[in-house]
Amino acid sequence: MDKSDSTQSGHPQLDRDKITQDLLRPVLHTSRRFYGITSILGAFVLAGLAAFLYQAYFGLGVSGLRRPVFWGFYITNFVFWIGISHAGTLISAILRLVNARWRRPVTRCAEAITVFALLIGASFPVIHLGRPWLFFWLIPYPSERGIWPNFRSPLLWDFCAILTYITGSLIFLLLPMIPDLATVRDRAAGWRKRVYGSLALGWRGTPREWHRLEMAMRIMAVVIIPVAVSVHTIVSWDFAMVPVPMWHSAVFGPYFVAGAIFSGIAALIIAMALIRKFLHLEEYLKPIHFDNLGKLLLVMSLLWVYFIVAERLTVWYGNATPEMAVLLATEKGKFLPLFWAMVCCNFLIPFPILAIKRFRTITGTVIASVAVVIGMWLERFLIVVPSLEFKYLPFDWGHYRPSWVEITITLSTFAAMPLLYLLFVKFVPIISMWELKGGEPVAAPREEEVPAWTGSTAPAEEPLPGSGD
Amino acid sequence: MAHRWGMVIDLDRCTGCEACVVACHAENNIATVGEKQAAMGRTMHWIRVERRWEGEFPNARVRFRPVPCQQCDDAPCEPVCPTYASYQNAQGINAQIYNRCIGTRYCANACPYTSRYFNWFSPAWDKPLQLQLNPDVSVRESGVMEKCTFCFQRILAAEAKAQAEKRELRDGEFNPACVQSCPSAAMVFGDLDDPQSEISRLSRSDRGVKLLGELGTFPKVTYLTRES
Amino acid sequence: MNAIYGLFSDAGCARKALNALRCASARMHIDDDQILVMSSEPPEDIGLDLPRQRTRMPWLAALGGILGGTAGYSLVTFTQRTYPLPTGNMPIIALWPTGVVTYEFTMLGAILTTALTFLITTRLPRSRRGLYDPEVSSGKILIGVADSDSNFWRDLERTLYEQGAERVKQYSHA
Repeated sequence: MDKSDSTQSGHPQLDRDKITQDLLRPVLHTSRRFYGITSILGAFVLAGLAAFLYQAYFGLGVSGLRRPVFWGFYITNFVFWIGISHAGTLISAILRLVNARWRRPVTRCAEAITVFALLIGASFPVIHLGRPWLFFWLIPYPSERGIWPNFRSPLLWDFCAILTYITGSLIFLLLPMIPDLATVRDRAAGWRKRVYGSLALGWRGTPREWHRLEMAMRIMAVVIIPVAVSVHTIVSWDFAMVPVPMWHSAVFGPYFVAGAIFSGIAALIIAMALIRKFLHLEEYLKPIHFDNLGKLLLVMSLLWVYFIVAERLTVWYGNATPEMAVLLATEKGKFLPLFWAMVCCNFLIPFPILAIKRFRTITGTVIASVAVVIGMWLERFLIVVPSLEFKYLPFDWGHYRPSWVEITITLSTFAAMPLLYLLFVKFVPIISMWELKGGEPVAAPREEEVPAWTGSTAPAEEPLPGSGD
Repeated sequence: MAHRWGMVIDLDRCTGCEACVVACHAENNIATVGEKQAAMGRTMHWIRVERRWEGEFPNARVRFRPVPCQQCDDAPCEPVCPTYASYQNAQGINAQIYNRCIGTRYCANACPYTSRYFNWFSPAWDKPLQLQLNPDVSVRESGVMEKCTFCFQRILAAEAKAQAEKRELRDGEFNPACVQSCPSAAMVFGDLDDPQSEISRLSRSDRGVKLLGELGTFPKVTYLTRES
Repeated sequence: MNAIYGLFSDAGCARKALNALRCASARMHIDDDQILVMSSEPPEDIGLDLPRQRTRMPWLAALGGILGGTAGYSLVTFTQRTYPLPTGNMPIIALWPTGVVTYEFTMLGAILTTALTFLITTRLPRSRRGLYDPEVSSGKILIGVADSDSNFWRDLERTLYEQGAERVKQYSHA
């Protein structure tokens, strides 16, 4: 019998029942700890909102930005969070396409990360505007101003790409949720039943519905991968398109995409570990999942090193004066501590943990992932700020130091992400029940047992064997 | 007749007095940001005088270079603005439309000369200093980019006057505030497309170089290098 | 609509029940589309062999992509020609930027078309009427027949029980 998972071979109904029960428990029962954590996270988010409103009222001067560093923490966060959003796509779409079995408990966790990270990331272009109440001028619509936005600007490409990606990710998340929402609907009562009922769209589980759902998911998986690649490429082109030393580099497109997938997998591992611990899903998110994701993280770490080396070697060897100023500032000058912190977090710490099987445990991969998340944030910072500090004319070089406004807003996004995730886990089963059950083998083992079933559950008063019908 | 406005700055004549900077502030309603903000690097000198030391004491010499907006023909700041607040108008000026600016500050990053300035706060003038504001130039609010416009208000005023008098603009008839105020006549302004103008002659001088010319921005400001 | 259906907790039995219904279809005058199946997992995953369904969804998605791309291209070219503002000496319709926006709108078109096609072909959202048993979402597989000849109801009931149905129910709705 093929039972590669650890669930005992027993009555298949019990396994499936247990799956449903375990995965619905967080949705149907709320602990006091949930309210406590939500309040703390909510407080941080409110603090960030207050800081933003303060900034919108008094002007961007309350931040640490200055000439020539016109972009700082906010754009760092923008790129960082859009990068994190690449978790879902890789895991869900690519693993769906190659039909990897171990993806099943992981897909919805990942897809949820994508949607929330995108929402947070997409808020930063609004946060960093000088006149944020006019952000809607970026939207192409026939306005009374008689003017359309400038499609030659990479910021408009950002808008189109992120719009497409958010739409795609939302659909990618919501479509396979429908059958699970139907399950919750059938177990809920009162107003919750009505809410879940509308969200489930009246799903019944007919073969027609299942077939269309799976076909839609297959198409979405194929379409969302090039979209994800294009999104972070276009985000990287915000930098690569302008003549700033060490920004104007052709490698930025692939470099950013690789970095995004790298940080995305790390975020996913952290999210999965937290869910596993707090929702007691140890039977579903097993060490093998962390092992596999850990291997992927290792590959991405090496790929990241490759890109860093490729970029820096080229710049160093080319010896162009303006670019060397930025390079040396990062590697020998004022950014040296941050640079080496980044290398440590992205490679020196994760590599031994992930490469040696003994250390590639759940705890190990989580430690590596936390390091990677920190390291990738530093990497975004080191891309944005040093180049702006050391532009072409030395007289105009400057120094950037973030203010409390930027730090508060940054911290609040690191609270907003778990808050959104927590709320999501509360309302929807975080592991896709039908996909998980679908991975459990059903038909084959039962064949031998069928003769024992025939006629045995027929009600006593019914005449027996229905042969020849 | 279509004009293409340019400027020539003679580095041999510049004394670094910064009269141009002050005149620009006065003409264009530029805020004085105060000591604290200036220390942070948030000054708003649309034209600034860059200073460079050469040699060692006792033979150290200082070189000055006034840098306004270079009004590039292939300006990198223009295509990146999502709201068309920065574009090139028919007279070759890189126009900054304050009302369209939402403050993404992309143009400032794209400018290799960092000649663009951002209103970090809303500028304010203590009474009675607001009486000195130039009525021909709008006052910008917080969150809007601004930069040197070659005193486009003076260009428009001169054109209106010439049109009223039914004649063409004469070379040297008017100048931006910085050119007007330079005591050593280090700056020359005029129509590059006019073969008779002094500037088209000077900009073709052997001493003429473009700042960061290798970047392909094709600036319309030419610097005449020092001969001494 | 009238229906008789059985709820099976075992997929093997459900499959046998399905086969039994198919075998009896001639005698009981049951068409293929009268046979009802509902499950909480995709039918292939639980071993029910159902006739292959054909769909044009991929083609529609591609068509949606083309429409989206056309829309994106038109948006860029139309709006930039209407208000031609030269920037950085680039042409008013710049090839590469236009390409980027067109590409994104192509993908958006494909995505939206897929979602729309899904909703339309599954006829979701569904109004409340229609047969559904909440036990399906607990893992039971529903196999039944809709609108069958009333003479065969007891026959159907017996067949379903014999194949291992835990419960057999009747559904009747105007």
